[in-house]
Amino acid sequence: MLSRRHFLASSAALTLAAATGVKAQDRKVLQVFIDGDTNISGWWNDILKPAFEAAVPTHTFNVTITRGVADGNGTIAERALAALQAKADPQVDYFEEFEPASVAGSIEAGLWEEMTEANVPNLKLVNPAAVEAPIRLPYRGSQVLIAYDSAKVANPPKTFADLVAWAKANPGRFTYGRPDKGGSGSNFVIRAIHEANGKDPSAFTKDNFEPAKAEEMLQKGWAILKDLHPFTFGEGTYPAGNTPALQLLAQGAVDMIPAWSDQALQALKQGVLPETVKLVQLQDLALCGGFAYSAIPSNATDLEGALALANFMLSPETQTSCVKDIGGFPGISWDNLPAELKAEYIDVIPVSIPTFPSGDWQKAKNDGWYKNVATNLTQGG
Amino acid sequence: MIRFATKSGGNTPGHLQRTGPGREALAGLALVALPVAMLLMLTLWPTVSMVIATFTVDGHMSTSRYAYFFTDAYSLANLRFTMVQGLVSALSALAISFGIALYLRFSAGRIATMIHALSLFPLFVPSIIISYALVRFLGPNGLFQLLLEQVGFTHYRTPYLTPVGPFLAFVWEALPLPVLVISAGLTQVSDHAVEAARDLGAGPIRILWEVLLPQVRRSLLIAFALIFLGIIGAYTVPYMLGPAAPEMMGVFMQRTLGNLHDADAAQVQAVVLMVISSVVGGFYIATMLKSQGGER
Amino acid sequence: MKRTPIGGLLILGTMALAMIGPILTVILWAFAVKWRYPHILPTEWGIKFWFGMLGRETIITPVLTSLALTSIATTAAAAICWPAAYAFARLKFPGRQVMLFSFIAAQAVPKFALFVSIAVIFLRLNLVGSFWGVVLVQMLSAVLYMIWIPTAAFRGIPPALEEAAFDLGASRLRVFLQITLPQALPALAASYVLAFVSILFEVDGALLIGAPTVTTMPLLLMSLSAQVIVQEAAVLCVMIWVPCFILLLLTRRFMTAKGIAQGFGA
Repeated sequence: MLSRRHFLASSAALTLAAATGVKAQDRKVLQVFIDGDTNISGWWNDILKPAFEAAVPTHTFNVTITRGVADGNGTIAERALAALQAKADPQVDYFEEFEPASVAGSIEAGLWEEMTEANVPNLKLVNPAAVEAPIRLPYRGSQVLIAYDSAKVANPPKTFADLVAWAKANPGRFTYGRPDKGGSGSNFVIRAIHEANGKDPSAFTKDNFEPAKAEEMLQKGWAILKDLHPFTFGEGTYPAGNTPALQLLAQGAVDMIPAWSDQALQALKQGVLPETVKLVQLQDLALCGGFAYSAIPSNATDLEGALALANFMLSPETQTSCVKDIGGFPGISWDNLPAELKAEYIDVIPVSIPTFPSGDWQKAKNDGWYKNVATNLTQGG
Repeated sequence: MIRFATKSGGNTPGHLQRTGPGREALAGLALVALPVAMLLMLTLWPTVSMVIATFTVDGHMSTSRYAYFFTDAYSLANLRFTMVQGLVSALSALAISFGIALYLRFSAGRIATMIHALSLFPLFVPSIIISYALVRFLGPNGLFQLLLEQVGFTHYRTPYLTPVGPFLAFVWEALPLPVLVISAGLTQVSDHAVEAARDLGAGPIRILWEVLLPQVRRSLLIAFALIFLGIIGAYTVPYMLGPAAPEMMGVFMQRTLGNLHDADAAQVQAVVLMVISSVVGGFYIATMLKSQGGER
Repeated sequence: MKRTPIGGLLILGTMALAMIGPILTVILWAFAVKWRYPHILPTEWGIKFWFGMLGRETIITPVLTSLALTSIATTAAAAICWPAAYAFARLKFPGRQVMLFSFIAAQAVPKFALFVSIAVIFLRLNLVGSFWGVVLVQMLSAVLYMIWIPTAAFRGIPPALEEAAFDLGASRLRVFLQITLPQALPALAASYVLAFVSILFEVDGALLIGAPTVTTMPLLLMSLSAQVIVQEAAVLCVMIWVPCFILLLLTRRFMTAKGIAQGFGA
């Protein structure tokens, strides 16, 4: 914790000094819900909070972490929907990351505030390609890499085929997380699906989901993963999330996993992962990444404050911090960020990352994985 | 103490009966009103509305959601897995605690006191902590493996992320209750009865089977029901320690609601689990009623 | 049944390893700075993670919230359940058996689904995000202990004893306070402790009803348990667990087979 605090303090000190004028107790408190891993909640609490208080002196925010309990942010969104119908106070202003479509009927009921340049001016800085819908605010991106222990792996894989070959040659030394429990496992599964469908991410779009066709495309991916199944750690027992997978690597129980770039870099900095752990991206087609989309309920307790927070999140300063402090990929275009930042980070963080559509495709992928790959039904277990 | 418990059921002291049945009934109802009201509001009402919702498809009554559950091989595999985990874990916990209770019954002194204290220890450790602790203790390259390697055993296979992981945690968590309940049952058996049986030439197995076991049969049934109910609804333990598939119902329900956002299916899963739980719960109640009624 | 100290020591040793081993591992992690395979003990010790955790204001509030919440919910549950238990044991009234057993039947409802439904009701009552809403929902997890153990205890007191005192001219209140209560006290204490612990560790209801204004200690632990840094969760585990251990030591004499076994109908 100390090392992280030091590392965070350096960038927080400047913004802290700027926070003057309004007394802490006079500020209105926005309720922010975070369903992400602790590197994200730590960033919000330790760096963004003082910066936000300096930028918007009338407000501050309180972070509630919903990870791992019930349905996380989904639970709170259900509650907000019920509050909308009952005209009660939902006690939420801002979802750090949420997919509005995941709460059935919430979009139709008008639960989500539409964000445009009129109410969130900084939206003009956002790369148009990243915008999916006005109720979803793309504010940070991340990508998945292959993390491996260089003391055990002499030649890191360059292609997906290399990776599969390595895993088969070293039974039990590779694993990936369950796709519904975290993006590192999810994007590895997606990469296998891409591999089986001509390595073409554009074959999967938000609007082309069609059950029969999807089933056929996904089945090809399942074939690859089923083939890999007996060679993974514990012959097909998959860790339940991003961090359980990282911990297996940290404990030396496996030698190679897919991992989020930001989490792996931070774990290395903190000495959680051994110094011999290195990161590599596949060269034939990168593993997917994606944007984290924030959402604001239209019945937010303090809607104006929530929109101000959204605007603050897209400011070049916050976006710079996203790149520097959490190793993330910015939500706004690189052109709107300081040139020297781009020069410094362009090697680590690619200009574009392949993505996979949300909604039906994600559901079909996650449920299909459980029913086809993870299950031991067909193997007579 | 069993003697006392069996005297229950309408064993009203004379001084209260003197107040007349009408006043007594009123006093009784007044005293139980608050907790019963709480149960109606916070359990019965939500449950009934949930059950009704599972039978309603587009405003009409339908059993189609249940038809899906009972024809889907994956859902059934999860249900079967949950039942097997519950059964095996509960029976193992009973067997182990029976052994401990036997030892405690026939021993005294510091060792027995310490064993008793250790068997109660899990009462004060929440699921989340024991799950986390077992990952660190039994996990790959964890302390247990390190200890085994110190004595030259190098073929350890971790139970983490296999069905054995949650099994161990369930047994661990369940231990205190059966130890207490079975110990209480065993104190019913007098030393005299054991000695008499031995004088008649009964070996330890026969004494166990014919003298001791009948005394604690009811305790065993009750402990089994309570442990089993706790396990089949569990979420934290199988989430943190169990395999990806099959899933236990608690984890399956959470994923259906949380990741697939299919509230209807999740409710059907909850109701199926509830019906099975009610059968076991009813069996528990019947066991208690039978013993109470039988001796009155 | 011979008493062989060797057999006893063997049982004791196995139990000690199985019961203490996992917790000991967590305690070691809490004080480890570096601990990598294949070292049997941490290679670098320290308490820097403790400073990190204690230094966060986000830790202190949940600890205080949890203690206040648990004390109030347990005491309130005792206040409404113990008199009810007395009535179940001593008074005759219509629906007695049905009501008593409904407290067990309620255990069959999966908690997770139940809390979602309760949250919807609480929203209309404006109880979501309120301390008292959480108190109410957490009292639910206490009723089984609070009704059944005391009911059995009150039943276990021979009525003849009360009768005799009553015949000697003692008032009803005096009989209750001087005869009935002292006899039931160990079982009441046991039910209080068990309920206290189960409320202290309850998470689903606390999140659904409590968020965002009420954050409890175990909620925080849940969010930290999926941590890359093993030590942070380990420190929190030790922080939560040590008070429980003290509670165990303090109340061990109430945790007798008698008090609890009766409570579950055995």
